[in-house]
Amino acid sequence: MSQAYVNTRGFLAPASTLTGKIQWLGLAMLAVIVVLAVFAPLFAQFGPRELSCTPFEKPSWVHLFGCDDAGYDIFSQVLYGARVSLFIGLLVAAISTAIATALAVMVGVYGKWVDSLVMRVVDVILALPFMPLVIVLGVYFGASIQTQVLVISCVMWVSPLRELRAQILALRSAGYVEASRAMGAGATFVGLKHLLPELAPLIVPQFIRIAHAAILVETSLSFLGLGDPLQNSWGSILFHANARAAFLTGAWVNWIMPPGIAISLTMLALAFIGFGYDGSLAPRLRARKATQPEKPLNAAPKAGVEIAAQDLHVVYDTEFGTREAVRGVSLDLRRGELVGLVGESGSGKTTISLAILRLLREPARVTRGAVYLGENDLLALDETGLRNLRGRRLALVPQSAMNALNPVLTVGHQLDEALSRNPDLTPAQRRERALEWLVKVGLEEKHYRAFAHELSGGMRQRAVIAIALCNTPDVVIADEPTTGLDVLVQEEIMALLLDLRRTLDLSILFVTHNLPLIARHADRLAVMYAGRIVDEGTPKDIRLHPRHAHTKALFDNLPGLTEAKRWPAADLAQLDQKAPVIELRHVSKRFQPFSLFGLGGGVPHDALTDVSLVLRPGEKLGLVGGSGAGKSTLARLVMGMLRPTDGEVLYQGKDIAGLGAGARKVMSRAVHLVFQDPYQSMRNGMSIRDVIAEPLRIHGIRDRAAIEAKVASALEAVQLPADGEFQSRRPVQLSGGQRQRVAFARALVMEPAVIIADEPTSMLDQSIRMEIVELMEDLRVRFGTAFLFITHDIALARHFCDRLVVLDRGRIVESGSADDVVLKPSADYTRHLIAAAEPEAAEAGEWQAAQ
Amino acid sequence: MTYYIRICLQYLLALFAALTVNFLLPRLAPGDPLNSLLGSDNVSTMSEAQKQEVLADFGLHLPLHEQFWNYLTGIFHGDFGNSVVLGMPVWDALMQRLPWTLLLMGLALVISTLIGTLLGILSAWRRGAVADIATMTGSLFIGSLPPFWVAMMLIIVFSTTLGWLPSFGAYQLGTSFPNWNWFLGVGKRLIMPVAALTIYQSAAVLLIARSSMVMAREQDYVTFARSRGVSEGKIFFKHAFRNALLPLYTHVMLGLGALVGGALIVETVFSYPGLGSLVVTGVNSRDYLLLQGLFVITSVSIIAANFLTDLFYPLIDPRTRRAG
Repeated sequence: MSQAYVNTRGFLAPASTLTGKIQWLGLAMLAVIVVLAVFAPLFAQFGPRELSCTPFEKPSWVHLFGCDDAGYDIFSQVLYGARVSLFIGLLVAAISTAIATALAVMVGVYGKWVDSLVMRVVDVILALPFMPLVIVLGVYFGASIQTQVLVISCVMWVSPLRELRAQILALRSAGYVEASRAMGAGATFVGLKHLLPELAPLIVPQFIRIAHAAILVETSLSFLGLGDPLQNSWGSILFHANARAAFLTGAWVNWIMPPGIAISLTMLALAFIGFGYDGSLAPRLRARKATQPEKPLNAAPKAGVEIAAQDLHVVYDTEFGTREAVRGVSLDLRRGELVGLVGESGSGKTTISLAILRLLREPARVTRGAVYLGENDLLALDETGLRNLRGRRLALVPQSAMNALNPVLTVGHQLDEALSRNPDLTPAQRRERALEWLVKVGLEEKHYRAFAHELSGGMRQRAVIAIALCNTPDVVIADEPTTGLDVLVQEEIMALLLDLRRTLDLSILFVTHNLPLIARHADRLAVMYAGRIVDEGTPKDIRLHPRHAHTKALFDNLPGLTEAKRWPAADLAQLDQKAPVIELRHVSKRFQPFSLFGLGGGVPHDALTDVSLVLRPGEKLGLVGGSGAGKSTLARLVMGMLRPTDGEVLYQGKDIAGLGAGARKVMSRAVHLVFQDPYQSMRNGMSIRDVIAEPLRIHGIRDRAAIEAKVASALEAVQLPADGEFQSRRPVQLSGGQRQRVAFARALVMEPAVIIADEPTSMLDQSIRMEIVELMEDLRVRFGTAFLFITHDIALARHFCDRLVVLDRGRIVESGSADDVVLKPSADYTRHLIAAAEPEAAEAGEWQAAQ
Repeated sequence: MTYYIRICLQYLLALFAALTVNFLLPRLAPGDPLNSLLGSDNVSTMSEAQKQEVLADFGLHLPLHEQFWNYLTGIFHGDFGNSVVLGMPVWDALMQRLPWTLLLMGLALVISTLIGTLLGILSAWRRGAVADIATMTGSLFIGSLPPFWVAMMLIIVFSTTLGWLPSFGAYQLGTSFPNWNWFLGVGKRLIMPVAALTIYQSAAVLLIARSSMVMAREQDYVTFARSRGVSEGKIFFKHAFRNALLPLYTHVMLGLGALVGGALIVETVFSYPGLGSLVVTGVNSRDYLLLQGLFVITSVSIIAANFLTDLFYPLIDPRTRRAG
């Protein structure tokens, strides 16, 4: 069970699911066995060592399992034996799990060196043969129950430790751990307040597993005669049976079978309980027979239209009921067209693209509709017919190319597989064509032998495009093909797709949430909202005459790069007279990968080179650049989380480095970092109240009344409800926008001088971007906080910030007032960023620069 | 390259540590070592001179570090001392029994891997169907039967009641290699022990195979392959299986490590002359040189198996391959 199924709702799955039923059955079985064991004297007429019958007496109502060769009642032995085996098994499980949890948390708290030490011990223990070791230790230290428990525990903590440690290592890089440390939390705080609660759901599954194994070990040991001679566990009964030749008499039925069955039932009970903890073991609810979607009344293919989707309805069957994801969508894609399907998360756009290709899996279901590819209704076609069309007439270009490419097969292999759909090509021809395509998408021939993990994000997307298009389909459905890529790379991929469309005469349905990107290139746009298409037409049309409020909201949230600033810039001359809050003087940061005796070292990475900037009280400074530019490194330097390799970082005129160990405490109060991903930066197990109060607790403020007051006022400042009900909610229950507001509330409680907002809107839907930036301005006005606004979106930066600094690969290539930088850029890189945001602006800028 | 150097160092370290622990283990036994060696009854009747002689025989009179050095060099020469209970050099005893254990465990490993993988894959193919659920509950049930009990039941049914199979030993006394009768005898005596081991091990392999196949099938690359019109069969056996191989490989290779020392209980029930039953003999008679030798040989094979696992892992998982 390597993938832990974390059931946050309880320790057992709900009884309505099949998994739940099995788990509850296991629990019931275990309960019965425990009761029988604990109340053995009530159920057993005789003691286990009481001479109560003649040797080898047959089973009867008095002696349910008969008697052994010494005249002891076997039924009693089995009941009393349960006590021993259960006691040892469960106690060992408890001790082992406790040891493993403690060690795992220590690894989480203290990090690398504890981890190395613990793993070395684990390696040694694993190198020793398990059973012989237990036996030998048992013999040396005596065969009493206590030593048995101790000895078995000493060896069995290893297995749960490995599982828990794996989880801890994953948790350490969780967003909320990073956030906590950024707020100044020490390792112990993080370990106890974050790691341990998150580990808790895994402890029970480990306990069950160990109990299962421990009972087997204990019974095996007793079977070998190495158990406590005074206690009669199930294994001992079998030992005596074996030693006293129960085989040779008919007594084996009542002597050997019952203890074995008892052991099996106990282990089975534990296995049933543990069953639910491995997500993949849990079978899906009974597979529904695939029903044919209802055909809409006037469904008919349209001439001249490549794809005609008509009245599509898609639902998701969840345990909370049926949710309608797509409600009556009709869409046409004509030959040679590029149609953009735009919507935010949850609008249903990806569902549509998968529905058209009939790639939807449970729990999604198409209930109604027809999709005509030329003459054929895709939804009514049989599997073979569908497979024939897929890849040859109709192709999917998916997003998230890291997962779309099979990690263990080479790019070339997957290309070849795609090309083999064409039976007319010989292997040699296929290879030739594959290489051609690699070059066509902008890769090199050598990438034929490359694996997905060896390529960068942009290159992977190119490979995916090659694989999808190499059979020159007529229609392409591109599902968010540029999401997650660096802003400049997005432009390149877009250009590639447009080029291919031209040369191959493709019709493309481009699904995305990135409105500005698609609005520039699409022939037509279709805007989706809550499962329906609310607007359709040419981009210009829709922008000037939006029919639906949502469309209007989308466009409103895209301030033109060169429009008048939405938020007024401060008077720079006045600003410059104040003493700087943060100053960086010629700061460089180089990362040197760790190498042992010169082995295993990587290439040193210069994240920042000779960076100087100044942030004054109440100023809004924008830090713009693509991925890898060094923005995050800079943020961490400002916070004192990293030390510069060269240069100085000054807070209120004093070098941070001079503060020594206290630097983090001081800087975490002065500077607060708001993270990009509001879904990761708070732990789902905490209430909103606790999330916001965390910085207070980190800095030692314990007074409940004070905490209450600060949390309430922070919530009010970010315009969220401050009542108890809201405060008790968990982050899961809030939307992305609400969560980011909570993040800002958390930023306010310590009244920092500077808030660093690291891409605060990039994970949020477009329609609420403006709200968040509005919030930031509001906070600045109220509290006089300075803002360091990190983003790749130069348009947004220009509207919000007073000043901009442009970073390219660790160097500042341009800085100045926001208007100056954007309207009169001097650096090439800046011009690229501007061109990526708005090509017309770039041209205008060049015209201006030429003046 | 550095990956290989790193794992080499790691395993050498583990080997050294294991050997050291093996050395210290018997010497940790509470009480007089002589009591452990000869039994306290015997010791009380011995004179001081006799005791010293015995100590000298076992090299116990030397200072600890000298003992350790002798121990290490002894390992490399295959000199583990003499077994008291068997009356022969420990090394010879080990080598005599090693092939039988390898035969038994090897067969069990191969068969259980084949059966488990096959059934696990089929189960994943038909996920959610009755056959799948039946297979899974079946494996849970079978995995809960204690191997020694299964062994006893097998003996009862096939040996005692039906009389089809002999129930102890590795070969028919009186026959000799390479006689046909000898092979027959060996084969008959392998059936039940291998069955007892295989039954238990297949259950675990099945669940792992099924679990990794199910997870592989839910990945995005499967959706992408489907969108290109790749057939379900190809998706299953090429795309999903190649990825599911990874956890399966790790699990099976772990079984490789247990090859030498793992059949303890089953060998005892069947009186099978392997290394496992030798441990029990050694423990019961306090023959700790024998035990020491057993531990060394099992530790070395475990470490070697783990090393091989890590060595070959990059072959099946390209992500761990380093350039050059």
